[in-house]
Amino acid sequence: MKRVLLIVLAIMMVSMGLAGCAQSGDDGYEIALITDKGNIDDKSFNQGAWEGVIAFATENEISHTYIKPEEASDSGYLAAIDLAVEGGAKVIVTPGFLFEVPIYEAQTKYPEVKFILLDGSPHTADYSVFETKENVASIMYSEEQSGYLAGYAAVMDGMRNLGFMGGMAVPAVQAFGYGYLQGAEAAAVELGLGDGEVQVTYHYTGNFEENDTNKATARTMFQEGTEVIFACGGAVGKSVMSAASEADTKVIGVDVDQRYDSETVITSATKGLAASVVSVLDAIYNTDSWATYGGTTTYFNAANDGVGLPTEVIGDASADAFDRFESFDKAAYDAVFNKLASGNVSLLRSIEVADPSGAATAEELVSALNLVKVEVTTR
Amino acid sequence: MQDKKRVSQKNKYSIKNITKGSGFSAFSSALLAIALGLIFGFVIMLFANPGSAFKGFNYILTGGLSRFGNVLYFATPILMTGLAVGFAFRMGLFNIGASGQYTMGMFFALYVGFMWDLPTGIHWIVAILAGMLGGMIWGFIPGIFKALLNVNEVITSIMFNYIGMYFVDMWIRSNSTMYISTMSRTNYVPLSAQIPSLGVEGSNVNFGIIFAVILGIVLYIVLEKTTFGYELKATGFNKHAADYAGMKGKRNIVLTMIIAGGLAGLGGAFLILSPSGIAGSSMTYEPVNIIAANGFNGIAVALLGNSHPIGIIFSSFFISHIQRGGSLANLVGYKPEIIDVVIAVIIYFSAFAMIMNAALGRFIRKYITHKEVEVPVIEPDASEEIKKEAE
Amino acid sequence: MENYIIEMLNITKEFPGIKANDNITLNLKKGEVHALLGENGAGKSTLMSVLFGLYQPEKGEIRKNGEVVKVNNPNDANALGIGMVHQHFKLVEIFTVLENIILGVEPNKMGFLQKQEAREKVVELSERYGLKINPDAVIEDISVGMQQRVEILKMLYRDNEILIFDEPTAVLTPQEITELLKIMREFANEGKSILFITHKLNEIMEAADRCTVLRKGKYIGTVNVKESNKEELSKMMVGRDVNFKVDKEDAKPKDVVLSVKNMTVPSKHHKNNAVKNVSLDVRAGEIVCLAGIEGNGQSEFVYALTGLEKMIGGSITLSGKDITNASVRERSVAGLSHIPEDRHKHGLVLEYSLEQNMVLQRYWQPEFQKNGFIKFDAVREYSEKLIDQYDVRSGQGPITTVRSMSGGNQQKAIISREIDKDHDLLIAVQPTRGLDVGAIEYIHKQLVARRDAGKGVLLVSLELDEVMNVSDRILVMYEGEIVGELDPKKSTVQELGLYMSGAKRNTKKEIDNAG
Repeated sequence: MKRVLLIVLAIMMVSMGLAGCAQSGDDGYEIALITDKGNIDDKSFNQGAWEGVIAFATENEISHTYIKPEEASDSGYLAAIDLAVEGGAKVIVTPGFLFEVPIYEAQTKYPEVKFILLDGSPHTADYSVFETKENVASIMYSEEQSGYLAGYAAVMDGMRNLGFMGGMAVPAVQAFGYGYLQGAEAAAVELGLGDGEVQVTYHYTGNFEENDTNKATARTMFQEGTEVIFACGGAVGKSVMSAASEADTKVIGVDVDQRYDSETVITSATKGLAASVVSVLDAIYNTDSWATYGGTTTYFNAANDGVGLPTEVIGDASADAFDRFESFDKAAYDAVFNKLASGNVSLLRSIEVADPSGAATAEELVSALNLVKVEVTTR
Repeated sequence: MQDKKRVSQKNKYSIKNITKGSGFSAFSSALLAIALGLIFGFVIMLFANPGSAFKGFNYILTGGLSRFGNVLYFATPILMTGLAVGFAFRMGLFNIGASGQYTMGMFFALYVGFMWDLPTGIHWIVAILAGMLGGMIWGFIPGIFKALLNVNEVITSIMFNYIGMYFVDMWIRSNSTMYISTMSRTNYVPLSAQIPSLGVEGSNVNFGIIFAVILGIVLYIVLEKTTFGYELKATGFNKHAADYAGMKGKRNIVLTMIIAGGLAGLGGAFLILSPSGIAGSSMTYEPVNIIAANGFNGIAVALLGNSHPIGIIFSSFFISHIQRGGSLANLVGYKPEIIDVVIAVIIYFSAFAMIMNAALGRFIRKYITHKEVEVPVIEPDASEEIKKEAE
Repeated sequence: MENYIIEMLNITKEFPGIKANDNITLNLKKGEVHALLGENGAGKSTLMSVLFGLYQPEKGEIRKNGEVVKVNNPNDANALGIGMVHQHFKLVEIFTVLENIILGVEPNKMGFLQKQEAREKVVELSERYGLKINPDAVIEDISVGMQQRVEILKMLYRDNEILIFDEPTAVLTPQEITELLKIMREFANEGKSILFITHKLNEIMEAADRCTVLRKGKYIGTVNVKESNKEELSKMMVGRDVNFKVDKEDAKPKDVVLSVKNMTVPSKHHKNNAVKNVSLDVRAGEIVCLAGIEGNGQSEFVYALTGLEKMIGGSITLSGKDITNASVRERSVAGLSHIPEDRHKHGLVLEYSLEQNMVLQRYWQPEFQKNGFIKFDAVREYSEKLIDQYDVRSGQGPITTVRSMSGGNQQKAIISREIDKDHDLLIAVQPTRGLDVGAIEYIHKQLVARRDAGKGVLLVSLELDEVMNVSDRILVMYEGEIVGELDPKKSTVQELGLYMSGAKRNTKKEIDNAG
């Protein structure tokens, strides 16, 4: 036993010694991403943004890393930013609106560091001051446009009984849902359908989980005749996909292209997270046009390819990304996408909702979004 | 040979003294357990990223020193849940429900923080006490089930982890004062309900840690100096003897679970009522149906602290220290997930090594007794050194 | 030089603060029953543990058939043909008899258990030696005597030729003891060598060929049993003359202290009641003995009496106060002291120190606590007084962990605690179980002293000698009922045995008249 102890001691001392020497060496990471409460592989904001960082940094050979905060609170996020700066970060990517307050602090604390804040704009904790300093690029997405395209495509493809399953009623999810309804309405008008001929079951699960309750809800909706569900809430999608594969029905994915997760996914209402991150990083490192983004809020939408349905299948240039639709195709998609890009369509991304949880009633949806052809039931 | 034998005798004697003293079974074996845990963690770091292993490991070992405020801040909740687990364990109860009690305490504290309008200076104290009450209620239920119906407290308290968490998440989501649906998290706690900060730069460490340490000492006094502690430990050691001596076993079970629940509840309150370094901000809670990890970390803290209140204070500091240092390992290229694994390995390996300590101590003693004559032949230098130490 | 199968030469084994074995030599001949005699704490168990490989001696060597062997662990011992029946059986409670016997040496073919083969061997062995067992019975369901047979069969199954019995008779009924001694003789006749640890002189006289005596870790001597006698052996063991007779005056019973009427207690093991409609009185100044074979409801009766178990019928009056529904604590305060049957289970918190155990019944009294805080000085002072007064010996005095103390001293600690506490009635359940002659003598004296001090004493005992010598009145319990009352001065052991085995019983009326 003593021999073992001696070996242990020896290892420890050697390691200490080496560590002591090595500490002076300083190799930091220039681009750092801070994850929010989720993991790096959340198939959502963290992952999307991180893919953008990897894509750009690898191509341009810039060191990069991601940091997980010790605590999911404002000061916890700020501490993670402190850590990133200590580690030599020059550009910090923060995906999600949870970083609004920490970035407000950090932009003053680290004027020489550039921040890319996705889906939010810096403000104080009490919302009294909104200020985006020169070193912060605030990036927002027009989720309603993405949802619009998905709803439009589904109705144009011949579906009349649609479903929406959001996670929690947070602004991004709400915008997706409202856009989805507006897109379905637009397609119905275009097809000359009668009033109430398109039916949408509208539901917030209240969580972002894959669980039996969510799967059972999806299964019930499918049994009641729903042909496709727009699964808009992180891992909720997995529950919906599994219910859909049992019922032989369809799913619309969200945030990133989810066609690779399940055969049932006909398309996805994506945000160009990676694309937007790459755009901003490109502006910093290559085109020297940080001023375009710095100090302001930039909306990524159809006009600058910030949202849309997937048009390519990764790894197969010749494949058709619309192959899972009956009739809707790339041409039809391009037509409606261009209409959005041109700015001719005005969409609502938020409406008045009475319920504190943010879940709108059917009446609120119908009246605020002017739905005529589309009949909404909530559950 | 004669000479060597003398050396061996002496040397054997010195080590045996260490291993046989009552201190060995507590403190030294904790250190040994930690050493084993660290080695294991280091091996994993070597596999994950050999180039930076030394630097990363050095961060884990010493990084916490530069972040002492945060070490204390993050030690607060696990110290409380550690006490909740350890205290009940002395009575022979395995309170695996610290998580639910913690969450419930947090909710009660939040409720008072948001919904009651009290003067500054009193508000946060009442909120803390409310948190304690919440935890007590959630400890009381498994306790009463155990006492009256003899339902195993492990089963009840696991179930109440879930019940508590779902209740709290539901209550918070349905309360528009406490919950901001657009952020899917709670609102900022009113300033008057936040625990005063200790004012350490770059850290939210607050009076909570002071209360927690004081509570640890109070528990030590209760366990060692009072008739209640006497009964509690007697019951934990030998339930039958406690019955024979006329101790009110059922009452003590309920009381112990209430106290344990209260401790965990305080942990939740201390955390959620923490002040923030950012003006107007505060700690927030996300009702996303996840069981609080701090409750389970309390089990590791209690194991490593050998269920001794003072030991638990130190083990919570140690675990927090390792975690803070671990975060810094990010700077030398360790992915957060790898660091989590290393930290978890260190903590749990240490804790489980601690369980084995009795066996380990026996093993060492036996081994030394066996090999007494061989020792000096193999390692003359080592035995010389130890001999010197002994003198 | 004689031919010894086992020689233990100059064995020395130290524990912190104590030399458990000091230069002890023991020689075992082939085919003999060799008794190892000594008081508790004399070092008998330690010596046997050294032989069995559980401890390593600091000095000395072990030889088998003249060759030095090293026994590092029980597996080595087993390989040398040494088997041991421990005082506390090492059986897996939820396994069957057969499974326990083959545990560790399971016959298998390519990893598959061959139970049939094992069963045949076990059945053959059990028939050959008259060790009746049911191979499929589960250990926790069978009696202690049966469990011991399983332990013996374990040794035989492993073909051990040197059999160590560590105080095997402590847990047995008189009949079972006779049976066991007979079996041991048979083993010896077959050429097996037996080491028989005991402190019961009768058993040595009956079964052993030679006897080695230890005292306080030292070797006293080895004698041929036939050439010796009980008095000599006991003197060697204790170091002084021992009085086997209990000296006592005739009882002078006064008022009734304890009155039990129609007590009925349900059984935890079977559907029938363990105690059926039992009534009895104990008067101040007399020792009433509740005799009977183990498992006839005595334990349940005492549990119900002390409040540890619930009774479903009847009433209890203590010193004129009805305590039928009182709690354990209330009964204790009302004047009931209880020396429990199982000192490890009920009587002591083994992890606690001696002084902590000394106040187990009284820690809550104002003498020992103030506002819930224990008065440590008072506890220390009190326990030192008891230790002194009752001669409780331990390594470190009041702060000794009780687990480390010898059985006799543990029992002394309990007795001192229960006697010193205010009481009108002392219940002593098998107070001398597993203790040596010196301790037994001491405990019997204490019981008589209580009686003479005007207290009622209720003694529950399985030992016939104890029942006949100590008590003033004997009540025999059989299958949960009191079947007879005897006056020890006018009855014989044979008569008592008939009542205990249920062969004879008085009618209720006769008992009432006698009482």
